This record gives sequence, structure tokens and C-alpha cells, in this order.
Amino acid sequence: MVDSAEIDLTRLEQDAKLDSTKNLLEVFKICKTFGTLRANHDVSFTLKAGEVHALLGENGAGKSTLMKILYGIQKADSGSITFMGKVVNIDSPAIARNLGLGMVFQDLRLIPALTVWENVALHTKLGGKILRKNNICELIDQASQRYGLAVDPNAKVGDLSIGEWQRVELIKVLLAGAKVLILDEPTSVLAPQEVDALFDIIRRLKNDGVGIVIITHKLREVRAIADRVSVLRGGKQILCDLPAQDITNDDLVKAMVGEFVNPITNSDRGSGSSSQSTLVALDLTLRAHGEGTGLKGVDFDVKSGEILGIAGIAGNGQRELADLLTGARMADRGDIELKGQRLTVAGPKHYRMAGMLGVVADPIREFVVPGLTVAEHAALWLATSSKKLRFDIGSATKWLHQVADRIGLPLAPSSKRLDQLSGGNIQRVILTLAFADPSQGLVVSYPTRGLDVRTAEMTHGLLIDARKQGTAVVLISEDIDELLSLSDRIAVISHGRISGLLEAKNTDRLEIGRLMTQEAS
Amino acid sequence: MSIFSPLAPKQDPPLDDLVNHEVEKKFSWSNLYRSSNMTFLLILTYIGSFFLFGLVALARGANPFGVFGAMLQSSVLNVGSIEQVILRAVPISLAALAVAVPARAGLVNVGGEGQLIMGAVAATGIGVAIGASVPGPIAWVAMAVAGAIAGAIWAGISGVLRTKMGANEAVTTLLMNFVANDVMLYLIYQPWRDKFSSGQPQSQPLAQSAQLPALFGSQLNLGVVIALVLAVVTWYLIRKSHWGFALRVVGGNQEAARRAGLPINKLLISSMLVGGSLAGLGGMLNLAGLEYQLVPGITASFGYVAFLASWLGRHDPIKVVVASLVFSAIALSGNGIQLGFGLDGSIVDVLLALIVMAPLFLSKTRKAAAK
Repeated sequence: MVDSAEIDLTRLEQDAKLDSTKNLLEVFKICKTFGTLRANHDVSFTLKAGEVHALLGENGAGKSTLMKILYGIQKADSGSITFMGKVVNIDSPAIARNLGLGMVFQDLRLIPALTVWENVALHTKLGGKILRKNNICELIDQASQRYGLAVDPNAKVGDLSIGEWQRVELIKVLLAGAKVLILDEPTSVLAPQEVDALFDIIRRLKNDGVGIVIITHKLREVRAIADRVSVLRGGKQILCDLPAQDITNDDLVKAMVGEFVNPITNSDRGSGSSSQSTLVALDLTLRAHGEGTGLKGVDFDVKSGEILGIAGIAGNGQRELADLLTGARMADRGDIELKGQRLTVAGPKHYRMAGMLGVVADPIREFVVPGLTVAEHAALWLATSSKKLRFDIGSATKWLHQVADRIGLPLAPSSKRLDQLSGGNIQRVILTLAFADPSQGLVVSYPTRGLDVRTAEMTHGLLIDARKQGTAVVLISEDIDELLSLSDRIAVISHGRISGLLEAKNTDRLEIGRLMTQEAS
Repeated sequence: MSIFSPLAPKQDPPLDDLVNHEVEKKFSWSNLYRSSNMTFLLILTYIGSFFLFGLVALARGANPFGVFGAMLQSSVLNVGSIEQVILRAVPISLAALAVAVPARAGLVNVGGEGQLIMGAVAATGIGVAIGASVPGPIAWVAMAVAGAIAGAIWAGISGVLRTKMGANEAVTTLLMNFVANDVMLYLIYQPWRDKFSSGQPQSQPLAQSAQLPALFGSQLNLGVVIALVLAVVTWYLIRKSHWGFALRVVGGNQEAARRAGLPINKLLISSMLVGGSLAGLGGMLNLAGLEYQLVPGITASFGYVAFLASWLGRHDPIKVVVASLVFSAIALSGNGIQLGFGLDGSIVDVLLALIVMAPLFLSKTRKAAAK
């Protein structure tokens, strides 16, 4: 509970005097249908002041819909929302903000060209018609000290790290007077150390009487921070308002997935089957273009039948590395060799034909052609992996059916337009194509992005299979658990350099996290 | 669904793709509007265009019904006019196909006018030089080849500028129109000027044998058949050929095409070359089948009308030909107005613009209603 003697009276604190046994927010039997899909069906949960409530569920479970309803972006078909004892009608985000509901989105919504205080001023309308810089900066400083949200009000937002962005978002929402904070997958962009710092902040907010809803699918976070949990699956409520200590991890997974999924791990990791290096990167160097750090002399080798994990915070050179390894960009300096054959100067097609395949990092930008069907994308994939440019959609369809049967990832109908499918469905198509035939080398960027737990595990299985077949796999991911359980070795990338090369079985999250945040020397 | 059953999800269907299709069930006018038949709405907007045009005529003091009557009379109400409409539609539709092919690769070719002109210039050069001394068919083929090559070069320049230097092809093709016009004017004022033309700047006319003969006692000639065949060939090229598929990929997502290893520059330039050669051929057919000599304004801005026709037909070769016929009729209908009503014939340009804008308005408002 709040220790009101210790700190000055602020708006926040008055609200925090609410009895913690009373509910700050009650969500009751919310229903929402889109066409024939029930996105939310009788969903309820309650939130007390000074509580962290974790809302768990897979992709497509209906978490985001629920949050959008709470924040006034969408309207529920039925059900009620009670805020501080009153039934409220939240028709727009402005109403939600005025009530004291603050939302921190997964894609942080700040304006990079403006400074921190300008962004805050924009959101909160502090100081009325005339911008009073000093007032706003003071408020920001107060809030940062109180909650440990270290941030410089005069810094340009575009220059900040992603962790700092998130802190600015939090300050913005808090200064707008939020009594309930909704955090949508807040840790997905953070390094482990930053996650710990965020949890510290959440604990302080909680002590101050703020009610916090945290949307997540990571059990680790539930354990670390949540007081109570609710679980959604397929739009239905599976668990409601359960104290976190009353449920085991296994039961939580079962609640989320519906059945127990055996996490697939690389059981004999580190026991490299061959000593021969299949894929070698030598002194790869690329100037920084726009976003990203470029690469500054990256060396590594991947043996046949080995998975090399690349860990790092987004934007530290992973994109550039994946681009170079698949021939999508050319290095300014350095070499790439596959089975002793130098690939560096050739274009993407030569990489493909030499047996170097890739799973792209940004499917919409780099893979999906608007207007083309799933089958046509398969035809494109086949045509560009062979010498002659021949697009045979009929036989590509047949081929895709066979491959899909073998690979086992559920695919959308091949006559559907790919650009009209969801991220998860697009990703399944891309994975099916990449794993269709054994390859010499495989560069996989964020393979399980947008996938539900079951297909994510199937994808991990495919990676292990590829390893068994002797493929040299480079796995780029921001999910350290994924890297730890699949990789033989892990290379940590920071500021465009490899800051450490670790045996996966002899390391842990903290060591990786330390290397991830290592400053450039 | 059954055809796709081997690919259908074996377990639960992936839930997340269904969330994208938001459909409100409550009744509202905007829902009715959204769900009504697209063709019906399209026809409504076209009627609206004519209505607005009628208002414009009324504002200029003319009786709208009289104006419409005169327009119909001079375009589609008698056989002679219909034949004229079809003849004019030949260069328009070929120049429109010259827009449609690069559009497949995401390029905007505004240079139909210049490519028509250069096609006509090259055809004149060849036709005047050899037209009188070789049999007709040989002259036709030589002129056609020259016209197509000239058009291809003219468009290809913009293609190369785009791929090598990143110059926006919409701008360069537009500017090349003015260059082409000046080249033609120079030729007919100076070296190619017809000495017997009593002071008019114009080239020598083609020899009788080099002109395309009329068919079956009508005004129509071989050009009409060629235009139709080329429309079908173009349709096949961009819809069915490997080249057309690759163009579609480049036009849809150039970054994806690059990563797939498609030869993007080659594809972009080749689309401009093919498009330009079609327009060049259109210029040749216009010359050999209709004008017989170079005169200032020989294209009558058909290149720009063709640009609109291609967009109205959504770059689908068959629809583009239909749109070209419609625009040709509207363009000719201006003659009737000119004769009867004291209005300037160019007022039909208003109708042309309204018809192009009508479907745009439709897609815009449907999107707004969908929100």
C-alpha cells in the first residue's frame, strides 16, 4: 500500500488512496464479434489499485481486441466496464485518457523529430495554450525521479534507445493522469537488463497505487511481476483473476494453448557433428544506411549441422548481417564463403543457387508482393532458385501441396492473396518455402514472429531437423530463451560488432544480456 | 474449398487471419452502399458525370439536351461517324497500351504523345523515302518497323534514365513529349517541308501505294485489325507470359523482386521499350491510315487521352481498348458541338475528365464508408 507520509501530494496519490481491496477497474462479460469470428466472448477481469494483472494468451486469443475496447478504439457488442465504481462508456481514446486509462502500445507512438518534453507536451496538453517548457521539464524530472524513469527532457526522441522510448511513453501516460496503465507486450523490444529496469519501475508504480495490466505471453514475466493472472484462448476466458502463486507454469501453458506443448530444444547442442566450416563470414563491413548501425568487421563460421544463434537488441546490425548473408546487399568489405566457394560479389540469385536460403526479417517489405496469391509466391520462389526464369503456377501449386504435407505447418489456401493474410499466415508460407528442401546454409530472422505457440514449436522442430540434415543455420532472434534452447553457439552482436561468442550450454541470459548492451569501444 | 483441402489447416484454422475482416452487421446507409453491386455504382457515377457535364453546358447558355444530341450525332449515330471513332481509337488504344505495359512494372509512362509523334516521324521518313518506289506492303512493314523502333527508343531513354540515374519516369516521359513535338515541327518547317503546300508547314504526303487502303468499302483500314491483334498479344504478354509475371512482381514490390534476384533494371527498361514500340506503331498507323503526312498537332493530344484511357481501363489491355473507343467517341463528339452551339469543342474535355474521375471518386468514398 501507499506510504502517503513519504511523498508530496499529487494527483496520482489522491487516487492511490483508494482502498486496495476495492476494484479500480471491472471488466464484465465483454463480447465482440468480427463477422463470424468471436474475438471476445464473455471476457471479464478486475483490477485493484496497486496491482499488476497479467493478461495472458497466444496471438489471436483476443487480448489486443480487449485492450482496444478498454482504450476506446473499438466498441464492445455487449458487456460493461466499471471504472472507480462507475459504469463508463468509453467511445474514444480521448475519453479513456480523461478517465485515467493510459495505454503503452507495443509499437511506441512518439514523434522522433521532437524532443522528449515536446512529445510529452503534445500528449498531455500540460500548460494550456502556451507551451511552458520549464514547467513541463520540471514535471518530467519529478516523475522520472519518483519512478526511476531516467530520461533527459531535452533529448531528441529519435536519438534515444528503445528502452528510453518506452520510458518516455510511460512518463507521457503518467503525466496525463493515468490511474490504470495498460502495457501491451512491453518487454518484446528490451534487453534483459532493460526488462529488469522496467519491472523496477512497474513495482514503484504499483506501490504508488497505479493499477497495471500487462499483456504478455511470456511466463517468466508473469512470475516476476504479476499479482493475478487471467488467460484468454480463442476469444474465450479460460482463467479469471487467479492469484499468480496459485497456478503452475505447466497449467498456465495448458490454459493458453489448450494442451501441453513439449518445448523443443536442441538436445545435443554443442556436439558439433563436423569440424568443417560450411559458412564463413570474414571481416564483413557495411556502412550504416539510415537506421541501423551497419557492420564493423564481423567474423564467424558456422559448421555443417550447427545452429549459430545471433543475439542482440534490434537495430544493432542483425538486419545488415542477414542481408549480406542472403546477397540482398553487398558488403563494403569482407567475404562470405559457402563450402569454400566465395559468394561475396554475386546477387541474391547466386546465393540461392549455391544453396544459401533465407527467411526474411520483414516479410511485408521484403517478401510479399501485393496482388499475388500464395501459389504465385511459391512459383516466384521456385523460378528464382533455378537458372531459367520460368513461372509455372500450376506445378508450383502441386509442389507447395506436397511440401506443406511434409513440413506440416498449416497453410492458407494457395489461391488466397498473400497480402491479405495475417502476419502468422504469411510467416508460415515463408517458413514452408525455406524449409522445403535441404540447403547448405540457412539464415533465419525472427522465425517465430507472429506464430502461435504450437506452430512456433513446430518451427523450432524444423530448425533442429535442418541442423540434423547438415545445414549450417544462422538463427537471428531477439528471444534469448529461443536462442539458448536451439543454438549450439551464440554470437552476440552489439553496435555492428560481435561482442562475444558463447557456447550455448555454458552461458545464461545475464551473460548474453551484458554483451548485448556492451558499448562500442 | 475442396480443391484446397490438402493445404487446409489440419488442426484449428489459424485464428488470426480472420480478425482482419471486420464486418459490422448493423444496418446503415454506408453499409448498404458498401455492399451494393460495384457495376451498378459505377454506372451511377458515369450518369453523374454526364449530368455534371450537362450543368456545365447549361451554365454556358446551351441547351444540354441539344448538346448531347449533337454529340451523339457526330460520334455514334451514323455509320460514317462510327468508322471515324474506330479509326481514331487506333492510335489512342496503342498509346494506351504503351501506358499499360510499364504500369504493370509500376512505371508511369506519360509519354504516349511523344512516342506517337516519333513513330509518325520515323514512318514519314521511311515512307517518303521509299514509299513511291517499292510495293505497298513492303513500305508498310518498313514504316511499321521504323515507327516501332522510334517509339521504343523514345520511351527507352526514360527507362534508362530511371534505372541508371533514378530520374522519375513520369517527369522525363512528359518532358520528352515536348522534345518530340519540337523535333517534328523542326522537320516540317525546315528539311521535310512540302514545297507544294502553299505555305503550310507540313511534310510531303505519302505516295498512294504507301497509304493503308480502306477495307470493304468502308473508311476502316488494316490498322484497326493490327490494333486489336496487338491488344490481345499485349494481354497475353502481361497476363500469361513469364516476362509479364516478372513485371508484376517488380511492380508489386520492388524490394521483394530484388531479393528474389529478378533482373529489375532489365525488366523496367524492357517494359518501356515494349510500351514505346506499341505507341510508335500507333503513330505510324495514324499517319499511314489517316493523316498521310506530318502536320502540326497531328496527334491531336491523343497521347494524353490514351493515358487517361489506360487508367480508366485499369491497365487491362482489353478494357483499355474499350476505354479508348469511348474516349475517341467523346473526342469526336466535340466536332458536333463546335458546329451547332457556339460552344468551344474543347468543352468535351470536361466530360472526359469527369469520366476518368468518376471511378476514383467511387473507390475513395467506398473506402471512407468502410471505415
